[in-house]
Amino acid sequence: MRHPQMRTAVFLGGLVFLAAMFMSCQTIKENIGTLTGGKVTASDVEAVEKTTEAVRSSFAEITEEEEYYIGRAVSAMILTQYQVYKNDAMTAYVNRVGNAVVIHSDRPETYAGYHFLILDTDEVNALAAPGGFVFITKGLLMRCQDEETLGCILAHEVGHVSAKHGLRSIKKSRLIDAFRIIASEASKRYAPEKLAQLTDIFEDTLGDIAESLIERGYDRKYEYEADQLSVTTSARTGYDANGLLDFLDTMVGDSSTASGKGWFKTHPSAEDRIGRVRKEISSVSAMPGKNEGRTSRFQGAMKSLR
Amino acid sequence: MNKASRFKLLLAGVAVVCVALLLAETLVVKVQSTFVRKEPKFYSSPTATLTAGESVTQLSSQAGWFKVRTSQGVEGWIHSSAVQTGKLKVASMDRSMQTAATADEVALAGKGFNRQVEDEYKSRNKGLNFAEVDRMLNIKVSPDELRRFLMDGKLAEFGGAR
Repeated sequence: MRHPQMRTAVFLGGLVFLAAMFMSCQTIKENIGTLTGGKVTASDVEAVEKTTEAVRSSFAEITEEEEYYIGRAVSAMILTQYQVYKNDAMTAYVNRVGNAVVIHSDRPETYAGYHFLILDTDEVNALAAPGGFVFITKGLLMRCQDEETLGCILAHEVGHVSAKHGLRSIKKSRLIDAFRIIASEASKRYAPEKLAQLTDIFEDTLGDIAESLIERGYDRKYEYEADQLSVTTSARTGYDANGLLDFLDTMVGDSSTASGKGWFKTHPSAEDRIGRVRKEISSVSAMPGKNEGRTSRFQGAMKSLR
Repeated sequence: MNKASRFKLLLAGVAVVCVALLLAETLVVKVQSTFVRKEPKFYSSPTATLTAGESVTQLSSQAGWFKVRTSQGVEGWIHSSAVQTGKLKVASMDRSMQTAATADEVALAGKGFNRQVEDEYKSRNKGLNFAEVDRMLNIKVSPDELRRFLMDGKLAEFGGAR
């Protein structure tokens, strides 16, 4: 290099580069401290730094595959509590309605797709586990008058999946702990100690979801959001979203569902939802109407249920 | 055409190729398996099946769908919810930007809550009904079945929708 200016420029450039490197490492270290509440040893920090680019911090960063494993386990819990209603024709029909709605939702594809199953109980309930495992009870099916209502109810459940309401109910501290362990391990096979820790967190994570999904019910705002998603998704599918109102109307003042588990222990009151759903429907510019052909195929499918 | 304008044309050509290379995006499949379809519709016939981690080249996009070419040279449409976007082609990126994008589905594939964690969880909770979950996963609606269902019911573009 013969030009002194060029040498200076290269030197300065090098300095800027080193400063940038140092600053980014510093930021990483600070963030690790913040994320873990400072309860980490020096070796922990070192381990995490090695894989810093993989450190995640919120439910939104749970991968599709992890969501699938969470959904599988939540579904296994549900299917341990309830018997499956064995009726292949009806199950196939529910899956067709479900998939018609799914492809018009905000999230048509998940890791292993959406699957719908009927639970053999008179309880009036529907549940969706993360990743797309959707359950509807025989009791709730019996309340549906037509395909529109069934479509709207399934669209409500698909809305819970697409908006990740299940994953949102996982306590943040648990995710941070899990992400730290995952990031500290380079291989896909976990050593016994880490596997035990990760499985502990997995169990607690399932507990968080089961508590809000099965026991306590989702936060009201998630129920309203799922209703709103149901209206827009149903309309896009070609279903009359008034089907959701038809169903909610049957639930007003129904004391049989107020106790025990079910949509109405776990949801805001029917009256409360009807008002909001009505408003939502009025904002859809051209709502599809009901269709005789659909209603008659619904009735045909339901014959095997009664 | 004189020499100068021929040179300008050549330069323009090179620029177009460079821009095209920069824009040519590689999409990586993030779901267990998905179809490449003839048309940008879920009930359209599949032209290829892709599994998690496979990459395709994006050719164009349209309302939530990407037109892609697979490594086998098959062209078709894939839905945006099945792929990870935002990873530019290696040729157009420097290394620092590649590593910046590793906190993603592809880098984390098989990690975290995985089969091994599920197996450990199962061994701790023996009574759980995973068999029924596996049976549930086998219930599928084919594109053809879905198309007939929408058509018969006058749903979506077959009738009732806006």
